[in-house]
Amino acid sequence: MSPIPLVLILLFAQSVNPELSQLVETGMKAKVAGDFDDAIRAFRRLSELAPELAAAHANLGAVYFEKHDYAESIGPLRRALSLRPDLIGSEAMLGTALLAIGDASASIAHLENAGIGDLLGVALLEVGRPREALDRLEAALLQHPGDPDLLYYLSQAHGRLAKSVFDRLRAQPGGTARTQQMLGEATAAVGQRAEAEKHFAAALASRSDLRGVHFALGELALTGGDYSRAETEFRAEAVRSPAHAATAYKLGLVLMNRGETAKALAELTRAEKLASDMPETLLELGKALVLAGDVVAGEKRFRRVLEVEDGSLLAEAAHLQLMQLYRKTGRGADAERERIALQRLRSRGTR
Amino acid sequence: MGSVAAGRGARFVVGGGGPPTALTRLRLARYALVLFCVVVLSAKQDFSFTRPLEFLHQNSPTPQKYLLETMGGGVALLDYDGDGRLDIFLVNGGHLPGPFHRENSKYWNRLFRNNPNGTFTDVTVAAGLHHAGNVYGMGASAADFDNDGHTDLYVTNFGANQLFHNNGNGTFTDITVTAGVAAAGWSVSAAFLDYDNDGRLDLFVARYLDWDPGRNITCGTPFNAYCRPDKFPGTTNLLFHNEGAGRFRDVSTASGITAFVGKGMGVAVNDFDADGFPDIFVANDGMEQFLFHNEHGTRFREVALEAGVALNDNAQTFAGMGAAFADYDNDGKPDLLVTNLALEKYALYRQEDAGQFAYTSLTSGLAALTSRSSGWGVGLHDFDNDGWKDAFVAQSHVLDNVERIHSGLRYLEPPALYRNVRGHFQAQSLTGASPVAGRGAAFGDLDNDGTVDVVLPILGGRPLVLMNRGAAAGVTIRLIGVRSNRDGAGAIVRSGTQTVYATSAGSYLSANDTRIHLAAPAGPISVEILWPGGHGQTVRGIPVSRVTTIREEIE
Repeated sequence: MSPIPLVLILLFAQSVNPELSQLVETGMKAKVAGDFDDAIRAFRRLSELAPELAAAHANLGAVYFEKHDYAESIGPLRRALSLRPDLIGSEAMLGTALLAIGDASASIAHLENAGIGDLLGVALLEVGRPREALDRLEAALLQHPGDPDLLYYLSQAHGRLAKSVFDRLRAQPGGTARTQQMLGEATAAVGQRAEAEKHFAAALASRSDLRGVHFALGELALTGGDYSRAETEFRAEAVRSPAHAATAYKLGLVLMNRGETAKALAELTRAEKLASDMPETLLELGKALVLAGDVVAGEKRFRRVLEVEDGSLLAEAAHLQLMQLYRKTGRGADAERERIALQRLRSRGTR
Repeated sequence: MGSVAAGRGARFVVGGGGPPTALTRLRLARYALVLFCVVVLSAKQDFSFTRPLEFLHQNSPTPQKYLLETMGGGVALLDYDGDGRLDIFLVNGGHLPGPFHRENSKYWNRLFRNNPNGTFTDVTVAAGLHHAGNVYGMGASAADFDNDGHTDLYVTNFGANQLFHNNGNGTFTDITVTAGVAAAGWSVSAAFLDYDNDGRLDLFVARYLDWDPGRNITCGTPFNAYCRPDKFPGTTNLLFHNEGAGRFRDVSTASGITAFVGKGMGVAVNDFDADGFPDIFVANDGMEQFLFHNEHGTRFREVALEAGVALNDNAQTFAGMGAAFADYDNDGKPDLLVTNLALEKYALYRQEDAGQFAYTSLTSGLAALTSRSSGWGVGLHDFDNDGWKDAFVAQSHVLDNVERIHSGLRYLEPPALYRNVRGHFQAQSLTGASPVAGRGAAFGDLDNDGTVDVVLPILGGRPLVLMNRGAAAGVTIRLIGVRSNRDGAGAIVRSGTQTVYATSAGSYLSANDTRIHLAAPAGPISVEILWPGGHGQTVRGIPVSRVTTIREEIE
């Protein structure tokens, strides 16, 4: 935040009093040289000699701010703004300083007046207004895409918003099915598999038609290596959500792992119809097609994986499948090309 | 013992009785067919679980969770005294951290003599095998490396390995230094093989990590757990050429073996491309597997990726531990089974075209059976003598606190038998099997009844001996090489659709019975033997439920 407008005001003060002029010059020089203590002495003396001069207080506060002594900067900045409420630079510094010392509540008005959206988002988050914070942070992220600080606070905002909704859901009397579903998802996310299963079972006990619960149970079983149970759960989900492509894919994947290639092929074909370019579906479908003897259709799926997922783990798998398919069909040069592509990807460390 | 002419003038020795007449053979065959049907319909093959060996494996678990302490427990099956019965050598760990205190008897390796009545006697001291040195024991390999008719022992360690020469009088002599096979670092599994077909068995040693207790790190929060292998650098494997006269030459670099840094665990040997030279598979932990193709006894070329056995079907690595290299689908070509950790699914690779493997864990049914299990020692043998090789696996997770990390997994697991039904695997419950920390596993016919038994060392526990009961009839064949190495290692024995490769290598940390095992549910069988070097021999009328010795025929 540049104090240049204040310099103009100070130039006016210099023309009035030579001592003030000297203090301004000393203070400004020291500030530019980074000699904050000398600058503070000069601007403090200036503010004592001209207590109604807003620029004197503003500059004193600015030097403290630049020194990262936010607590000391607040008094002079407040005094400056009381004399000249239109000092936007002082407003911005005051809001930032207040947020820096943890007084987010007090900072909000100043950050709003100064139009500093990202810090306002942080302040709103800290005072427990995550929904408003989200808007500010999302807007700021458009200006600074990929900013790690903004992304951090954005995730915090989403988390708190989710928690507030979760708390409301949890507070409902009697513990609803949705409460149990959410508790199941939360405990599954932190690896408490047994707890998650209990919550999901409770959810289904009170509302057997809930969508997503059998899918979540299927995921738990699949990642736990229990393919039999996973198949049961995904089939149950498929009854409730027949147009859900991910369910069809997962069911196909489980059937592949169970060695039920023909049934897997049917489910994976269905998954492809529901969502045509899901790379995970394409890869498994390609494998199932090759096992069923349709090498051409399998190759087409693997090639499509490479078109939509070049450079990923799925691409590595597609290259491997193509390499083996080409070797099997006597296309040695093509197989070698795929081997080299696979090794190149692996050496780049996509794992 | 009757000596009978067979094949093109070949001679083989049959335990008991002379050749049956043609009429008798016909009657026997009919009877055997009826008996076979009865056996198949009424009997169920199972194992009796016993703990007859006074041995307590000392892995010395520590709060630091040294990876070393969860890896050990090998076994070798060898007939050390030439009485025709397989004896059992068990490898012990040591005190941790070093010094390993192997002078203390509780840390000794142990040799148990197999007595005629089925009991075992500890003969460690008499055999001179109680001097383990300041090393932490891992596994063993056994073979008659000097062709003197007596099976020798190679012990792998963290620290220098040891080669014990069998003196032929019930004692062994440590000849490690003069033989030049001490190696260094962390050796795991080893395999004797005649890679250049010169009639002398060479030695391959798989090594794991470049690690020592002083460079250990702790892993896991909020509690310690054994580190993943990617926390430590890998190391190279070793190959020693047998120069004769009890000496070996380190050809690791000259052969191309050291060009590949791995994290070797299990080693298995077979001639996968049928070019007459044995190839070597190394199960690597958490990285690509290695398949070293033998370039006609001169060099080795690593071909795992192009052969299709480096990765799983999603191009991902897995924690390769034990390996079995045998023909499970009776097409005459060796396939590969590699054990790994829970949620990875044991990796089965079927050799389809010459030298090309396909990942068949899913279609064979093995993926669904093994998705929650962690496997170590493994064997592909025909346990029920139905003519199809089944899979037996020593199991347990590597992390002794895995339940705290993943509530759906278990540290201790019972060993598993997966019955092969025409190329598709089915779980077979094992009566009396309880959860243990399985590591090594060795396979052989301990009671010479024509069935394959199992010895299962237990990490930090007492070993299990699993005697095979209720199987259909089978034969056990001892090969004696004349121009080939005396063990006949590298010979390929076929009977009908059954193909068995002669080797003591395979599994994890362990050495198997060097003898050939084949199913013979319908009575005596004929075999065709392709000896190392490529010359064939046919032997007919091999009787069931006993041991037959076949000497290499030299034209």
